[in-house]
Amino acid sequence: MDLFLQFLANGLVTGTFYALSALGLTLIFGLMRVVNFAHGEFYMLGGVLGWFVTSHLGLDFFSGLIVVAAIMAAFGWLVDRVLIERVRGQGEEPGILLTIGLSIFLANSALLLAGTAPHKIEGPLPNAPVFLGPVVLTEMRIFAVAVCAALILGAHLLIKKTKLGRAMRATFQDPMAAQLAGIKTARVYASTFALGSILAASAGMLLGAIYSTQVTIGGIVSLKAFVVVILGGMGSFGGAIVGGLVLGVAEALWGGYVSTGMVDIVGFIIVILTLIFKPYGLFSARAERV
Amino acid sequence: MKLERNTLLILAVLAVLFPMLVTDQYILHIGIMVLFYAVLASSLNLIVGYVGEFSLGHTAFLGLGAYTAAILATRYGLPMWATIPLAGVISAALGSVIGAITLRLQGPYFVIITLAFAEVLRIIANNWIGVTNGPMGIAGIPQPEILSTTSTLFAKRLYFYIALAIAAVALYLAYRFVYSSTGRAAVTVRENRYVAQSVGIQPFAYAMQAFVLGAFLAGLAGGFYAHYISFVGADVFRFSFMATMIIMVLIGGKGTLLGPLAGALLVTLMEEYLREAQELRMSIFGLIVMLVVLFLPKGLMGFLTLRRERHAGNAELTGNAQRIQPQGGAI
Repeated sequence: MDLFLQFLANGLVTGTFYALSALGLTLIFGLMRVVNFAHGEFYMLGGVLGWFVTSHLGLDFFSGLIVVAAIMAAFGWLVDRVLIERVRGQGEEPGILLTIGLSIFLANSALLLAGTAPHKIEGPLPNAPVFLGPVVLTEMRIFAVAVCAALILGAHLLIKKTKLGRAMRATFQDPMAAQLAGIKTARVYASTFALGSILAASAGMLLGAIYSTQVTIGGIVSLKAFVVVILGGMGSFGGAIVGGLVLGVAEALWGGYVSTGMVDIVGFIIVILTLIFKPYGLFSARAERV
Repeated sequence: MKLERNTLLILAVLAVLFPMLVTDQYILHIGIMVLFYAVLASSLNLIVGYVGEFSLGHTAFLGLGAYTAAILATRYGLPMWATIPLAGVISAALGSVIGAITLRLQGPYFVIITLAFAEVLRIIANNWIGVTNGPMGIAGIPQPEILSTTSTLFAKRLYFYIALAIAAVALYLAYRFVYSSTGRAAVTVRENRYVAQSVGIQPFAYAMQAFVLGAFLAGLAGGFYAHYISFVGADVFRFSFMATMIIMVLIGGKGTLLGPLAGALLVTLMEEYLREAQELRMSIFGLIVMLVVLFLPKGLMGFLTLRRERHAGNAELTGNAQRIQPQGGAI
C-alpha cells in the first residue's frame, strides 16, 4: 500500500508537468488547430535556455524563468506571424509539414550549440527529501509542482478575466464575427501561440531543474502532449489538467507494477482507446463531429 | 493520364539502362535508395493523396514488413523471393486492421491515431526481445545465394534490378488503382465527402482499399530494405523515416503518380548532397522543408501543372481571338 501511494505521488508530480506542457498545446492544437510538432522543441528550448541563463549568465532561477518566458513569448509570436500565418485556413497538412520542418531545424541547431550531453539547471531549493507520511518527495519537486500550479492558474485567469482572453475566446468561437467586432484576429492568434510557447518552455525549465535537460527530448514530449490533449478534449483547460494527471499516474503505476521498459506505450494505448470510444475526449471545449 | 503513363514508361526504360552505364557502386547505392523511397512515397501517396487523410503511421507497415522478412529469413531460412511478398501480405493484413480502426476518424484525430499505432509498434519491437531481439535488432539477414560467388558490383546491380522490379509493381498497382473506378470514387470522396455519399459512394470502403494497398506496398519496401541493409532494428519505426516520406510526397506533389517519384529523387539526392555540410545538414534540411511549404505549397507537380494550365489558358485566349471554330473533341 505504501508503495502504491509512492507511485501515486510520483505520478501526480509527473502529471503536473504533462499538464503544463499540454496546456500550451491545447491552445495551439486544440483551439488554433495547428498540429504543432515543434511543441516538444519549445519545451526543449525552455530547458536549454534556462540552463544557459542560469549557469552562463549567472541569473537566479526565478529571473531566469522570467527571461526564458520573455524570449519564448517573442519566439512564439514570431513563429506564428512569420510561418503559421501564411498557411492558416488551409487545413492541417501545411501546418504539420511546417512544424515538422521547424522541429528538425530547432532540434539540430540546438544540438550544434548545446551538444548532446544532459544539462542540469540549478534549482532554488535543494533536493532534500520531504516525508509526507509514507511518501517521500523532494523539496524541489514540491516547489516545482507549486510553480506549475501557479502558472496554470495564471494562464486560466489570463483567458477568463482579461480583455485579451475574451478576444481569444471570441476568435476561436467564430473568427469572422470576432473580426467584424473589431478584434485583430491575427494578433490574437500570435498571442495564443506565444502563450502556448511560454507554457511549454516553463515546463521544460522546471523539469530541467528536477532531472536534467537534453536537446533530443523534443519528440517524445510532443507526442505525450498530444496524448494529453486528445484524452482531455481539444481546447479544454480542465481536460488538459485532468488528462496530464491521468497520464502521469497511469505511467507511474505501469512502470511500478508491469514493466519499466514499456512505460511510453501507456500514452499511446490511452490515445487509441480514447479516439475509438470517446473521440471528443473527456472534456471537449466544443462539440464537434469527428 | 496519357502524359503520366508515357513518362512512367520512359522513366522505366531509363532505369533499366542505368546500372549498365554506371560502374560506381556509390552511385548505384543512391539509385537503389531512390527506388526504395519511390516505393515508400508512392504507397504513402495513396493514403495522403487519394484518401485525403494525413497518415503519420506509415512506418508501422514499413517496419512490420522489414521485421517479417528478417524473421522469416533468419529463423525459417526462407529465400528472398518468398520473404518480400510475404512481408507485403502481412503488412496488408495489419493495414486492414489499423485501417478499420483509424479510418473512422478524420483530420487531426486521424493524424494522431496513426502516429500512436506506429509508436506502439516501435515500443513493442524494442521490448519483445524473444521475437525481435529488442534494441540489438536482427543482424545478418541472408543475401541471395547467387551473390556469394560474384563481385560486389554485380550484387549492387542485382539489388538495383530487384528494387526496380518492386517499384514497377508498386507503380503498376498504384496506376491501376488510381485510374480504376475505385480510384475515381476515392478522389470523389477526397474532393467532397458529402457529394460522394449522395451518389452512393461509401467513403469508408474506398478509403480502406487505398489504405490496405498502401500498407502492402510499404511492406514490400520494408522486406526489400531488410535484405539490402541486412540489418533491422526498431529504428525502422522511427519518426525521421516518416518525416522523410511525407516530405517526399509533399515536395513532389501529392495526388499525382509522378510527384512522389520526383520527391524521392530530389530528397534522396539533397540528403546526400548536404552530407558535405556535415553537422549543419539537418538544420539546412529543416529550413528547406519550411521554405518548400511556404513557397511551393502544391509541390513540384502542382507547380508544373499550374504553369501548363496557365500556358494552355493563354494559348486558348489567343487562339479564340484569332480563329473562330467549334471547341470540343480532344479531351
